[in-house]
Amino acid sequence: MRKTVVALLLAILLAGSVYAIDPGQSELEYNGWFRYTNQSTKLNITSPTASRSNAERNYLRAAHQWTAKLYSKLSLDFLSSSSYADGASVRIKEAYLDMATPIKDFTLTGGMQKVYFGEIYSWDYTHPDKELSDAQGVCSSADYGLTLNGFLPSGFGEAQVGVYNGEGYKVTGAKNSTSPMLLANLRLTPIAGFQVGASVFSKVKDVSAFSNGAPKRGAGADTTKFFNADTANRNRFAFAPMAKIAVGPASLTGEYIMYSYTRNYSYYALNRDSTHTVTDSTLTVSNKDYNMTGIDLMPLVTLMNQKLDVFGRFSTWQQKDQVGDSMPVNKVKSLMRYGLGFNWHFLKRAGGSKPAVAFQFAWIHEQSEALKPAPATGKVDPTDIFMVQFRMEWNHVLPAP
Amino acid sequence: MRRLITIAALAAIVTAGTAREVVVRGSDTLLNLVQNLAEAFTATQPDVTVSVTGGGSGVGISAIINKQTDIADASRSIASKEISSARANGVNPVEYVIAIDGVCVIVNSQNSIEKLTIDQLGQLYQGKVTNWSAVGGPNQKVSLYGRQPSSGTFVYVRDEAVKGEYAASMRQMNGNAQIVEAVKADPGAIGYVGVGYAREQGIKILQLSKDGASYYSPLDEQAINSNVYPLARPLFQYTNGKAKGDAKAFIEFELSPAGQKIVEEQGFFPVTEGYMATNQSHLQ
Repeated sequence: MRKTVVALLLAILLAGSVYAIDPGQSELEYNGWFRYTNQSTKLNITSPTASRSNAERNYLRAAHQWTAKLYSKLSLDFLSSSSYADGASVRIKEAYLDMATPIKDFTLTGGMQKVYFGEIYSWDYTHPDKELSDAQGVCSSADYGLTLNGFLPSGFGEAQVGVYNGEGYKVTGAKNSTSPMLLANLRLTPIAGFQVGASVFSKVKDVSAFSNGAPKRGAGADTTKFFNADTANRNRFAFAPMAKIAVGPASLTGEYIMYSYTRNYSYYALNRDSTHTVTDSTLTVSNKDYNMTGIDLMPLVTLMNQKLDVFGRFSTWQQKDQVGDSMPVNKVKSLMRYGLGFNWHFLKRAGGSKPAVAFQFAWIHEQSEALKPAPATGKVDPTDIFMVQFRMEWNHVLPAP
Repeated sequence: MRRLITIAALAAIVTAGTAREVVVRGSDTLLNLVQNLAEAFTATQPDVTVSVTGGGSGVGISAIINKQTDIADASRSIASKEISSARANGVNPVEYVIAIDGVCVIVNSQNSIEKLTIDQLGQLYQGKVTNWSAVGGPNQKVSLYGRQPSSGTFVYVRDEAVKGEYAASMRQMNGNAQIVEAVKADPGAIGYVGVGYAREQGIKILQLSKDGASYYSPLDEQAINSNVYPLARPLFQYTNGKAKGDAKAFIEFELSPAGQKIVEEQGFFPVTEGYMATNQSHLQ
């Protein structure tokens, strides 16, 4: 691991020294989603269990092309949040420097950046909801780290390898662990209309909950226990193969996600005599883990000269097997979802690669397992979610001063 | 009522079936040329409309990747990452060379300078040389004019001549014609345009050299075809898969003797035999 970090740091130094910095163009970009969500059981939409209007995303991006080989970007997200008196919050989603490397068509990105695991790698929110691994919190959507990104010769595909904190963009400063997360993506396009690839990530050891090295007293029912920091590991691993077939106006994208979470730990339980004096302690070594698998399929047909997207979606997120002590059930909610939707593109940006103004509609039918404390075998009533959303995106290139 | 609806529906289908259009988007360097080719083509094919718009090579290539155009014009070749994106989207970009260009470096006609080496050109555009006297010209400040990053010519000149970054002082113009007008109006100006835009009063085309020993003009066809002119390049079109139907007929017209005559009339150079053989294999 240390070698990987050193190699990436050397690559940064090399890239930074090879390319001189000159001022150049800047770009402003706005990406806003205004969404209404209606969630109900048995399609009882007039008495919903949730009815939300929110600015789901308001990205304001400022990018600067220092040179053709050096680029930086800051993205702020101004989003609705009921946690604040004014109903809004702001968070940094990207703050990075992107550098060309001596390897043709490969760049090195350093800083706070999007983390692409699974289909999120190419997820452009054709479906307004999140990609499956993102929705299930397999991997943070953004994190601090270094990524080497590049394209293979002759358009054969693309590859990415990165090292990140692993705790996500919301965890900063002293709360960050020193154990990095590794992530790699490979996408191959051997022939037009067929893409195959995989994503893998591993966070081998995460001691962030015990970061100071001192034993931590347990909480709640565990107040008599003192957790041993040196053995407190939380290991996460995920692998997601994917494939996409595109023929004419139709495409089918699918991924299969395997995710495992293991927590190893040990603790001292204090033994007391009848006067409540501590006499000795008992060391217990334990672990908790769970494994999940998921499938996400999305057929898409684009019609009317690219103005209309019609899509379906089928997803599952299932507990695969469990050994050792089980994790809390609310971490392993199993579900199955399917649904339909469409996008109407009022406008697209130059070249048609990105939307400018669009209306999005999606219906999602979800059947999930009951959460604790309900009976583990019981299924809850199916939920129907309707999302309607206006999506607006623009960018403006500012000439060099 | 039902009959009326049926007739209207049939009429709509028939009308839709007869509306034949070839959409072409992309390079501004190719814009005038392809518009002229389209006019000549549609004169012989009155049932077909050829719609030609610019925006830059990047926009054209993006449009072919996103199935928003039948033909993409590009003054640079498609990049690996663009081919990868295209394939993932079910698009197989097929390349045709429809003309040869010698990118012309132009100055105001009052400027006494006649020639530059490619290294001197790079130093000028990097901003390392700021007075014409440093490269054999008058004692006058240099004003740089170039294209925007979405332009294939911007990328081509940067990679082949500047070999570094453009100076921040370079004014980024929307198209070739704007560069020509700016250079006409500014005695200290230098700009670069496709050869099809350079034959105008008020500007001077410089001779260029790779080694400082032999200088060549971009108007010298032999120098272009033998690749001794430092900024000779092919101009491309891309289709999704081998061209079919009206798009194929249009490209065949562009490559025909009549089409190549228009290429020459517009100031570009006809496609060489090697490129023509490749084109034919991509059309069959």
